[in-house]
Order: sequence, then structure tokens, then C-alpha cells
Amino acid sequence: MRRLLVFIALAAAASLAAAQGGPQSWPTRPLRLVVPYAAGGPIDISSRLLAAKLQESLGQPVVVENRPGAGGNIGVDLIAKGPADGYSLVMSAIATLAINPSLYPDLPYDPLRDLRHVTLLVQVPNVLIVANDLPAKNVQELVALAKQRPGKLDFGSGSTGSTGHLAGELFKVMTGTYMVHIPYKGSAPALADMMAGRIHLMFDNLASALPSIKAGKVRALATTTLKRSSFLTELPTLDEAGLKGFDMTTWWGVSVAAKTPQPVVDRLSADILKAMDAADFKERLRGMGSEAPAIRTPEQFNAFVASELKTYTALVKRSGAKAD
Amino acid sequence: MKIKSPQDFWAGLMFIAFGLFFVVVALKFYQMGSSVRMGPAYFPVVLGGLLATLGTIVLVNSLVLAGPAVAKFHFRPLLFIAASSLAFAYLLKPLGLPLASIALIFICAYGGHEFRWKEVAIMSVVLVIFSVLVFVEGLALPFPICPDFIEVCPIR
Amino acid sequence: MDGIFSNLAIGFVEVFKLQPVTMWGMTLQHVPFNIIMCLIGCLLGTLIGVLPGIGPVATIAMLLPVTFNLSPIAALIMLAGIYYGAQYGGSTTAILVNIPGESSSVVTCLDGYQMARQGRAGPALATAAIGSFFAGCVSTLVVAMFAPPLAEVALKFGPAEYFSLMVLGLVAAVVLAHGSLVKAIAMVILGLLLGLVGTDVNSGVLRFAFGISELADGIGFVTVAMGMFGICEIIANLEQKEHREVFTSSVGKMMPSKEDWKRMVMPIIRGTALGSALGILPGGGALLASFGAYTLEKKVSKYSHEFGKGAIEGVAAPESANNAGAQTSFIPLLTLGIPSNAVMALMIGAMMIQGIAPGPQVMTERPQLFWGMICSMWVGNLMLVILNLPLIGMWIKLLSVPYRYLYPSILLFMAIGVFSISNQPFDCFLMAVFGLLGYVCVKLGCEPAPLILGFILGPLMEENLRRAMLLSRGDPWVFISPSKPISMGFLLASVALLVIIAAPALRKKREEVFVEET
Repeated sequence: MRRLLVFIALAAAASLAAAQGGPQSWPTRPLRLVVPYAAGGPIDISSRLLAAKLQESLGQPVVVENRPGAGGNIGVDLIAKGPADGYSLVMSAIATLAINPSLYPDLPYDPLRDLRHVTLLVQVPNVLIVANDLPAKNVQELVALAKQRPGKLDFGSGSTGSTGHLAGELFKVMTGTYMVHIPYKGSAPALADMMAGRIHLMFDNLASALPSIKAGKVRALATTTLKRSSFLTELPTLDEAGLKGFDMTTWWGVSVAAKTPQPVVDRLSADILKAMDAADFKERLRGMGSEAPAIRTPEQFNAFVASELKTYTALVKRSGAKAD
Repeated sequence: MKIKSPQDFWAGLMFIAFGLFFVVVALKFYQMGSSVRMGPAYFPVVLGGLLATLGTIVLVNSLVLAGPAVAKFHFRPLLFIAASSLAFAYLLKPLGLPLASIALIFICAYGGHEFRWKEVAIMSVVLVIFSVLVFVEGLALPFPICPDFIEVCPIR
Repeated sequence: MDGIFSNLAIGFVEVFKLQPVTMWGMTLQHVPFNIIMCLIGCLLGTLIGVLPGIGPVATIAMLLPVTFNLSPIAALIMLAGIYYGAQYGGSTTAILVNIPGESSSVVTCLDGYQMARQGRAGPALATAAIGSFFAGCVSTLVVAMFAPPLAEVALKFGPAEYFSLMVLGLVAAVVLAHGSLVKAIAMVILGLLLGLVGTDVNSGVLRFAFGISELADGIGFVTVAMGMFGICEIIANLEQKEHREVFTSSVGKMMPSKEDWKRMVMPIIRGTALGSALGILPGGGALLASFGAYTLEKKVSKYSHEFGKGAIEGVAAPESANNAGAQTSFIPLLTLGIPSNAVMALMIGAMMIQGIAPGPQVMTERPQLFWGMICSMWVGNLMLVILNLPLIGMWIKLLSVPYRYLYPSILLFMAIGVFSISNQPFDCFLMAVFGLLGYVCVKLGCEPAPLILGFILGPLMEENLRRAMLLSRGDPWVFISPSKPISMGFLLASVALLVIIAAPALRKKREEVFVEET
């Protein structure tokens, strides 16, 4: 018991000493990086990579904390409502910032008002892939096939309301076709069903589809971004293939509470960018299918979130998807 | 009407209650859909109905066939074990892992047959050191070590 | 055949390769680095497997950044070691304290824990280790020799086939209980219903969450298992009369007797076969393997009356099956680039970040990596058995610790483990609720194992049923049409199994009611 008392006394003394320092000395204690998903996914892995890098440059431990639940909303809400002291960061993503606001009727936070977006970390294009036995060899033939057999083609996705699902819905709207959406739990089982020819096409993110494309188990027809992907340079974009302006990427980045002081945001942004420019880190992110994002400053990122939010609000409404 | 098998009687009631609960909630809030496009209510309604039916069978049987009585409930361990895990859960963030662990150990030890102050204290110290080393240092779980009100933790 | 041997030779050379290693500024020549990584992985895996609630997924995720400083082969060998080390460790906890840390060790609890209570923890642990080792060896060979054709088989499983397999699995789940048949079926259905809580995969609608956002992703398996097995067991033990120890005081023998050896041979072989076959199926394969093996033994064994009361077959078969399944679950990953479970998804992540695209081309483009990994599985299994057999002595000593010291420790580790899943108090609260539910169920003569299996299989079953109906545009014959022989086979097998189960139960109904105990 006495040991415990001594320990508490020491701790209290240390805390007093530290309270003297001003905010300019940020960071003076460990940071936490909330990942609003269970451990193990690409967002989680990239967060851990980033945490290790930030730990070096900030000189304080960066603890990754998984707070899964409600499609990521719980974890993001935690930071949106948390202290704006720069010690709590969250890895927010297209789902939590741009799609969920229209998918979930009562989202507890406002992605623009409650959060300050610091740096866009990863941008992964989606690719349109089709089963090998589907006769369509390019986008035009696919559209023709879908028109010829309305309601007969099935497109899979990793979940209802995912970018894969919404890309499919956008495709339907832009081409005036009708296909049936088959939701899966993650894109792996959907890919397996596609290899076996049970579903016909899907929009999957490049990282999970690339091994199967390279192995020739499925056929890629186009990427969903305006620019061609450096991973599959010979693959046209949907925009080139006639669906003018079709642009969808999966992305995620670091956000903090809205009222976080500007100097802290600047320092954080600078350190994250420094990590992203380091050769080894860049290579790891590339391994996850990410092209280095062109959006770099907090201002650009915030503007980007706002425009994505607008795009997806319209798209979700059009697709009729909802979760309540 | 005499209950011949109390255990089955109550088990039957429990199943009926659970079954009806799922059926009612599903019908009230979710869509049934059709067999082609099954709505979110389809599966719970079918299963809930089945559960309630099975519960009824168990219940009716309990009135016909003799069976064992319900063993006595012991509320002391039940209460203390539940309370100790709740105490841990809700104290972990504000007070840190060591203090929350101590709370858990003391409460649940108190729910046992014999509570020896000294033993439990020693056990707490050993377990706290072990958990801090293994879970926080070793496995890097994001648990605080010091209570919230201490600004800068001397450990880590 | 020659090809296999030369390939395995490549692999073993890679695993045992001596290489220069620089550490803390010192460079050592000729270090068997890959083997050391394998050992570290196995040790770490065993540790996290033993700790309830801490799973291989979280550990591997946490270690990923560290592995980037290693060569790809060393990293993958270590991560794979964690994965099957956790399987070994998980069965230890299941046997010693009745806590299934992984879904595949639920059935190990049934007889393993009973053996431990009878002072036969040593033989139970040894059986688990030996069974797992044998299964590991055989299934590693299976992976080496038959990976591509087996992957083709896995692709034959679509939603209809999965649904029918789940039906068979649920019928088999009923066999796990040894009390009343109707109550066991009711518990399975209750489990199915509880599994539906959370976001519906097909419509995205949130069901039975009542505005609690923590329930949006459903109830976690670990939470339910810790509550219904762990918490419930502690409460049940504490209500026993004063001073009665939970475990018989004599520690007993460490190794299985001659009789035990004789009884475990066939279950291990059958379990291995079943596990290797089902392990290749993504989604629930390994789990179905472990209790499929248990069900099979309970039906074919002449000691079937001992099941649930400490039958050694009830440990040998599921343990072999789940370890065999753990090895063959690498097949979809290695041949198709598709992960069959969350750990495999992480392995894919690890490979991609190391610059390797997983898939069939790995075998031809990087044979050292591919075969090295396969050989490391065998070496890892050998290490684990060498590591675990001496550990048994330590584990059974742990059981002679008075229960009043043991249970607070178990409870603390469970609470830490459950809390760490999503770092919020709610999961611990749910664990207590399920502890309560489990306690009530036990008092009412309903066993928790069927409920847990229903709980795991329920969401998979609904998902596949609805997907199959969507794909067939609502044709219910999709499950039994001649074009789907696999699905039809499973459904016929379910009916047959149901008849086999029901027949004696109907006959013995009157007696069964009285055979309740504890």
C-alpha cells in the first residue's frame, strides 16, 4: 500500500511540473490515434505505420486505439466531441466523412463543423472488374450487354453503402442500365463468387482486386478515377470509356476536433507530410494500392471533404441506399 | 394444472419470451419483404416464431412429464462478479489500468467464500504488475496507466 | 512426386538458412534467423492464445509495422507462427478454465474442461498438442501437394452451398448437448436470433440495436463466449459449498495412458481429415470442422455416453480438426489471393506491403518464399509440440493454486481482453449480461454450447440464404436442384442426421428428463 502512495505522490508531482509548460511545447504527452474500425484492415495498418513514424518526429508515443462500431461513426464521434488539444487524432475516411452522413439518418457529428481535417493519407482507386466468362471485353460491350439483358447482371460489393456499391449505382444511372446489387461482407467473398462466375461484375478497390487481376482470375475493364492508375497503366478510365466525369476513389486521412489550435494542426500536418514523403513509408502505402495524393495542405483536405460530401450525398439519395 | 418439471416450465417461458420479443420487434420496426428479396424482418420473424413454438412444447411437456426442480440461485457471487467486471470497465479510462484492476480484484474476491485482506492485496500487486507488463508494455494495448487527473504519467 | 520433394527441399533450405544479422550495431554471421523468427512467433502466439480475449488478429496488426524491417519470408514465418501458436494456446485456456478464446475451441471446452476437473488436465493438454501436431503435419503436406485443386473445390461453394452447409452444421450443433433435444434446438435458435443483432448485411438496416450505437456492428463472439462460458463458470464454482475446490486436488499424470493413446488415434485421424477438408472453405470453415469432428466422434464412438463428461475423443478430434483447418485455410490465400478469415486478410496485407501480390503467381515467381512458408508451418508445429509438452507440467500446477486466487486472475484477464476489442466499457457490460444469461440457462437445464454455435452460424446462414435467393431471383429450388449437387448433398445429410439424432431421443425421452445433473 505504501508503495502505491509513493507512486501516486510522485505522479502528482510530475503532473504539477508539466503543467508549467505552455501550449507552444506541444506535444508534451502521448498522443492517441483513434482508428474507428477493428484491428487488421488497411486503414488500421496504415494508421499503425503512421503512428510509428509520427512517434519518431514528435518525440512522444502515438498510441493507436481501435474504436470500431456503427460503420466507424463511434470512433469519429469520439474525436469530434473530444478535447481540441491536439492529443486526440482520428483516422477518418470516405465512409465516415462523406457517405455515412447521408446513409445514417442521425449521425452524431457534422463532418465539416465538428472536425478539422489535417492530412489526406491514402487514395486508392476502384476498378471495374468482371468475371472471366462474361463476354464483354470492354466498358462499351459491358454497357451493351447490360442493356440487352436488363436485370440479369449481378454486381457485388463489400457492403451496402460502400464505395463499390455506390460506384455501381452511379454506373447504372450514367448508362441507364439496370443491374442487381448483391451485397457481401467484405470484398473477399464477393471476389470468390466472381471467380466462380456466380456474380458478373463489381467495383472493388484496387488493393484487394490487384492480386486476382494479376493472376488472371478476373478481368479488369476500367478504373474509376479520372487519371489512369500507375499500377495498371494500360487500363483505361471510365471517363475515357465514355462515362464522362466518373470519378471515385476510396480515401482516408487524419482529422482532429474542429477547435484544435492552428499551430498544432500545422505542426501535425507538416510531420505527417514528412512521413509520407519518406521513401520507405511511401513504398508501404503504395503496397496498399495508394497513389500519393495531390491534396496536401489542411485547407485543401477540408475543401476536398466538403466537395466529396456533396457528391456522395447526392449519390446516396439517388441510389436509395440507407441504414437506420 | 400442476407444474411437474419446474426447470422446463421456466425454460419454456424463457424461450417463448425471447421468441415473441424478436417477432414483435421485427414486425414493428423492420420490413418483411418477399421470399425473393427477403426484408430484414423475414429471418427474425421465422426464427422467433419457431423459438416460441419450441418454448410452448417445452412448457406443455413440463406440465405432463416430471422433471428436476430449478436449483437455487446464489445471488452473492452473481452480483459481485458482475459488479467487478462493470467496475473495471467503467473505471479503466478515468483511473487507469492499475486502479481499475485493483477494484475488480477486490470486488470479485469479496464475492467468494473467504476474503483475506492481506492475501487479496498481495494478489492485486502481483496481477497489476503482470498486466501492466504484458498488456500495456508487451502487447501495447492503449490502456492508460495513471488516473486521468495526473497530467503527465511518470510511466511511459 | 519428385517435384514436391524438390520444392520442399527449397523450403527447408530457406527456413534453416543461416544469414548475417545486424542487431544493436553488432553484426553476427551465420544466424538461423528464420527459425528464430518462427520460434518467436510460436511463443508469442501461445501467449496471446492463452490470454482470453486477446486474439491473433489484434496482435498481428500491432506487429505489422515491426515486421517491415524483416525480410518478407522472416515476417511471414513469424506471423504464421503467431496464428497457429494462438490455436495451441487457445485450447490450453479452453481445457484449463473453460474459456474458448477462439470460436474453434468452443467444443474443446466441453470435454477438455471436464477432464481437467477430474484431474486429467495433463492428458487432455497432451492429447490436444499431439492431435494438433499430427494434424499440422498431415495438413501441411496437403497444402504442399493439393493446394491448386483444393482451391478449385473451394470455389464451387457459392451462397446456396454455404447455406446448406450451415444447416448441416446447425443440426450437428444439437448433438453437442447431452440433455433434452427440444431445449438444445431452442438454444440453437436463440443463438441464431442473437447473432442477428446489428447491421443487416443485405439491406444495411440496423436490427435489434435499440439506439445503442455499440450494438451496430453486432455482438462480438468473444464477448458472448467469455460471458456464457467464463463468467458463468466462475459464478457456478463460487456457489459450491465452502472450501470445496473446483479441481480434484491430486494433480494426476501428465501424459496420456496406454488406454488414452488407443482411444485417441482414430479420432485424431478422422478429425484431421475433416479439418483439412473444411479448412479450405472461407467463412466458418475451421469452426465447422472442429465441431463437425466432435459430432462425428460422438456418433461413431463406442464411448459416446462419456461425451460431455470428459471423453478424450472429445478433445482429440476437434483439436486435430481445428489445427488442420488452420493450415489448410492458407490454401485460398496462396492460390487465389483470397483471405479465408481475418488473420489471412492480415497476411495478405503483410504481403502486399512487403511488395508481394498474393496469388498463384507467388508459387512460380518466388518459390523460396512460398515453400519456405509451407515448411515453416511444419517446423512451427514441431516447435509448438516441443514447447507445449513441457509446459503442461506448469499448467497443471496452476490448477493446484486455490480457486480463490485463480478466479480473480481469470476474471481480470477476461475483462482486459474483452475491453481491448473495441476499447469501450460496453463490451464488458455485455459480457456480464451474457454471464447472467448463461447462469440462468444452466439453472434451467439448457446448455450454452449450442447457443454459441447458433450465434456464430446464424448471421452466415441468413446472409447466404438471402444472397442465394437474390442470385436465383427467388427460386427456392436453388438449394436442391440437380445442378447444385453439393448443396443437395448437405441438405440430405442434414435430414439424415436429424433422423439419427431424433430416433434414440424419442425412444429414450422419458429417461432423458431425469438424467440431468450439475
